[in-house]
Amino acid sequence: MLLEDTRLEKEEFSTAFPEKMSTSTMESQTLDERGSFFKLIDTIASEIGELKQEMVHTDLALDDGRTSLPSLEKDMGDVCPDQKDFTNIIRDSGYDSLPNKLSILDKLLHTHPIWLQLGLNDAEAVEILRSQPPGTFLVRKSTRMQKKVLSLRLPNDFGFCLKEFAIKESIYTFSLEGSGISFADLFRLIAFYCISRDVLPFTLKLPHAIATATTESELEEAAQLGLNFWSSPANNKLQKSSPLQKPLPSDSIYKGSQQLCLINGVHSIRTRTPSELECSQTNGALCFINPLFLKVHSQDVGGNLKRPGPKAQDVNGPERSRSPPPRPPPPSIHSLLAHPQLSRTTNQTSLPETVSHSKHWNLDVIQKRPTPIPPPRLKKKALSLEAESNEKNSAVNKPSHNLVDGTEAASIPGGAPPQQNLESTNSLAAHCESQVQWNGGRQRLSNMSLSTSSSDSLDFDRSMPLFAYDGDTNSSLEEFEGESDQESMAPPLKPKKKRNGSFVLPKIVKSQLRKMSGVFSSFMTPEKRMVKKIAEMSQDKRTYFGCLVQDYISFLQENKECHVSSTDMLQTIRQFMTQVKSYLSQSSELDPPIESLIPEDQIDVVLEKAMHKCILKPLKDHVEMMLKEFHTADGSWKQLKENLQLVRQRNPQELGVFVPTPDFVDVEKIKVKFIAMQKMYSPEKKVMLLLRVCKLIYTVMENNSGRMYGADDFLPVLTYVVAQCDMLELDAEIEYMMELLDPSLLHGEGGYYLTSAYGALSLIKNFQEEQAARLLCSEARNTLRQWHKRRTTNRTIPSVDDFQNYLRVAFQEINSGCTGKTLLVRPYITTEDVCQLCAEKFKVDNPDSYSLFLFIDDTWQQLTEDTYPQKIKAELHSRPQPQVFHFVYKRINSDPYGAIFQNDNSDQNT
Amino acid sequence: MMAIRELKVCLLGDTGVGKSSIVCRFVQDHFDHNISPTIGASFMTKTVPCGNELHKFLIWDTAGQERFHSLAPMYYRGSAAAVIVYDITKQDSFHTLKKWVKELKEHGPENIVMAIAGNKCDLSDIREVPMKDAKEYAESIGAIVVETSAKNAINVEELFQAISRQIPPLETYENGDSGTIKLGKQTAQTTRKCC
Repeated sequence: MLLEDTRLEKEEFSTAFPEKMSTSTMESQTLDERGSFFKLIDTIASEIGELKQEMVHTDLALDDGRTSLPSLEKDMGDVCPDQKDFTNIIRDSGYDSLPNKLSILDKLLHTHPIWLQLGLNDAEAVEILRSQPPGTFLVRKSTRMQKKVLSLRLPNDFGFCLKEFAIKESIYTFSLEGSGISFADLFRLIAFYCISRDVLPFTLKLPHAIATATTESELEEAAQLGLNFWSSPANNKLQKSSPLQKPLPSDSIYKGSQQLCLINGVHSIRTRTPSELECSQTNGALCFINPLFLKVHSQDVGGNLKRPGPKAQDVNGPERSRSPPPRPPPPSIHSLLAHPQLSRTTNQTSLPETVSHSKHWNLDVIQKRPTPIPPPRLKKKALSLEAESNEKNSAVNKPSHNLVDGTEAASIPGGAPPQQNLESTNSLAAHCESQVQWNGGRQRLSNMSLSTSSSDSLDFDRSMPLFAYDGDTNSSLEEFEGESDQESMAPPLKPKKKRNGSFVLPKIVKSQLRKMSGVFSSFMTPEKRMVKKIAEMSQDKRTYFGCLVQDYISFLQENKECHVSSTDMLQTIRQFMTQVKSYLSQSSELDPPIESLIPEDQIDVVLEKAMHKCILKPLKDHVEMMLKEFHTADGSWKQLKENLQLVRQRNPQELGVFVPTPDFVDVEKIKVKFIAMQKMYSPEKKVMLLLRVCKLIYTVMENNSGRMYGADDFLPVLTYVVAQCDMLELDAEIEYMMELLDPSLLHGEGGYYLTSAYGALSLIKNFQEEQAARLLCSEARNTLRQWHKRRTTNRTIPSVDDFQNYLRVAFQEINSGCTGKTLLVRPYITTEDVCQLCAEKFKVDNPDSYSLFLFIDDTWQQLTEDTYPQKIKAELHSRPQPQVFHFVYKRINSDPYGAIFQNDNSDQNT
Repeated sequence: MMAIRELKVCLLGDTGVGKSSIVCRFVQDHFDHNISPTIGASFMTKTVPCGNELHKFLIWDTAGQERFHSLAPMYYRGSAAAVIVYDITKQDSFHTLKKWVKELKEHGPENIVMAIAGNKCDLSDIREVPMKDAKEYAESIGAIVVETSAKNAINVEELFQAISRQIPPLETYENGDSGTIKLGKQTAQTTRKCC
């Protein structure tokens, strides 16, 4: 299998690194006669090597995709048999009649300020639920368990009034602990449990006022009460006034569920198959899987509560459902001075166009109240406003950006020629127009995904990119294996399909998916939707966030003299992105809260992507221009240009290259990648391309000679390649990446190869001045040091995120002693999962007799299944007195070799 | 159970007067001697109880350096309150403060609560700005005034408490049907119900 091979290759490749480096450094010391330029090479190489020690750990054992694959397959196997029945039932769902009826999901989305109470503590939850009928629920974050929980009111005869069900968040999904069914977001999860009890003792009940509401405005009115809803007459009065409809405590009803619980035990209730679910809960299930419903919701998650209508598929027609924190819609100060009436005009012009929507959005009118703040947010379709802002940004929104975006959306960073991208863009457009046509396919998808233990099609969409699309540059080069050596003409989706080859899917669905996956994965995953939503919000000056972003962009474009250097400018931009991210995650401007849509350990990743899109994308051209200006002004580009010329005339040996060099074709290939890199606005994607270039260079070196090479051989070759490519702009590219990449990503290979590339460029810049080389190399070294310090200062306190998502685990076997491997272990991965991973990785036949231990202070502690190894590691690292500790995967019964392990220092934790 | 109310606050003032230190003291109860100048602006939050509400301060700590001056409007425009900081040992910083007040009056939100903080009051030996001047000036513009020391944790909490008290209580009105209090979301300070 391709995947397997490349991984092996990768492991060899990266483990070869450290030894290589130390031997050749030693070697180099004996070769003093090489001259100062070579010394410069050596110094920089060893400098990079040192940084590498701090930043990188390359022998990754596996990636995300593999972690989640087994469980997906398992789930799929469980439910596939029912698929046929299920399909038929869905066809009967009669969704034509539904447009006027609010689905459960609709209701949940509208009323989340009532039931989604992440800040609520244990006592407060009891306080609220005590007076509510059984089945009533809240979702909150338990400080005790450090995760979200579903607090469910039990019938009085249960003995205690509420029970908490932990909500498990994986990288991509939410699920109730103990259940095999996972969901794209919290809303779907709750909607599902309103219909099917699965692991719950009974289904969730919406408060009566919500359950009986028939219009969005009723729901909005209730939602406005927020937490006060629970104690409000709106909740209580209705319940009392309509005892017949009262969903609750008539004992007879509850005996049933109680017995059920007693028989099965609250936790051990068998998960029902979808077909059972369908039969027993006709009404709800109908509603739940209704395609129309899904469609509505797929937009809802993006914040759009618009009912499906002729224009419902408007790709650009996003909008926030609820009133956002309002604020004056100010232009930047300059335009404010120039056009004092601008903001008011804007609102006036947007008004008429909003009228047609007022039926749906009458809640806005309700919410409108006298405040010093200008008008309430009117829902979307302020085309004039958009046009205006587009106009404003037209300078930076050149078509090339769309192409880049298309490329990125297809998750193939570069490589694909423009025609490809155009094609995919077109197909997106076509797809939107022919909504009816592909609705069929989508419906089938949704069946499918239910049978894959997911709530709906979107879940499945989300699982598609597991392999190819991860957006994590921490991961190793192997991520690119599938793509890197392909011709750049390859269609964007090819690698993805290949990777999914091992995925077991029903045939029909598979072919459907092949047709659809590109379209779906490009904009339908919750991450994508969230990024899109944030990006749209950033264009909307009626939001505080939109103002911040737009004002900042115009500030940068209009205040060229504000920044003293290129570094200063890039730092300011990075700082702005970081701060705005923290604003978005801590304020309530994102509505519904991002925590309800994106699993917690993915929130930062998603926000970072959104920042790239809404800040870097519009600024890219400006930043490039400014970098050029700075470097032209300080003469560094002139020098670089001259030296590039000079270096290209030398033979490779003069550059310190003693290995086969890439030939013309390879250099052209690399150049294509560099050019693709230039088109990206996302530093993360740029770095991915840089990694591909580095990988390609290694491959060429190895193929041409049949042996492995380390960093000391690599740097001169990289220098040679960079010179051959003759791209002045690379200097700016490297700077862009070094300063704008998310600091957490600097710890990975990205950071390492960035410094290599920086080193290569400084070698070229200093090539001529052999005499000054000594001085200059210390300069380059200082710059690197400073850069590393600066970019990592705000992360001095260890937290789970600091540890690269990698965990070094030693494997102790009686016969073979100790071997260590570094595994990709995310912060929220439990010990149980790590054990599974280890069993796979170390090829253990009987995983049950093995477990993960923490060896510290000469004692062994077996970690319980529900602990988080990364959190333990972070905790240990943050202790004032650093202690030596190891994670060891070994037999559970006592081990005579423990003593040997103690002396084995090869397994230092990173 | 109390409503959480978000209050956007921004800090303005000359470079080096201690804006970030005040925020750092308030949010983390920590003081760093070697703090570097703020780039652009930084964002922090802290929630404090006020009456029967919880006030969540969303604080934008702006850069004092002149070159970042034109960034300030984007932060103060949506703010419910502005803390304008000067250094009691630097007369110049008090002049800068007056300029900020003027700018806020002209371009800031209409009802913005202004609070003047004379920081570094632990250094009153080398004071250049008399307390009286600041008080008179604050009175003339209807602002809160307090002398603070981020270093010695003097009056920092009090400063924010005073702001809390100045924020007009949420407008409440009777809902004809249920007679409950409705909390609008359309205020400068977004309201969210919680705990």
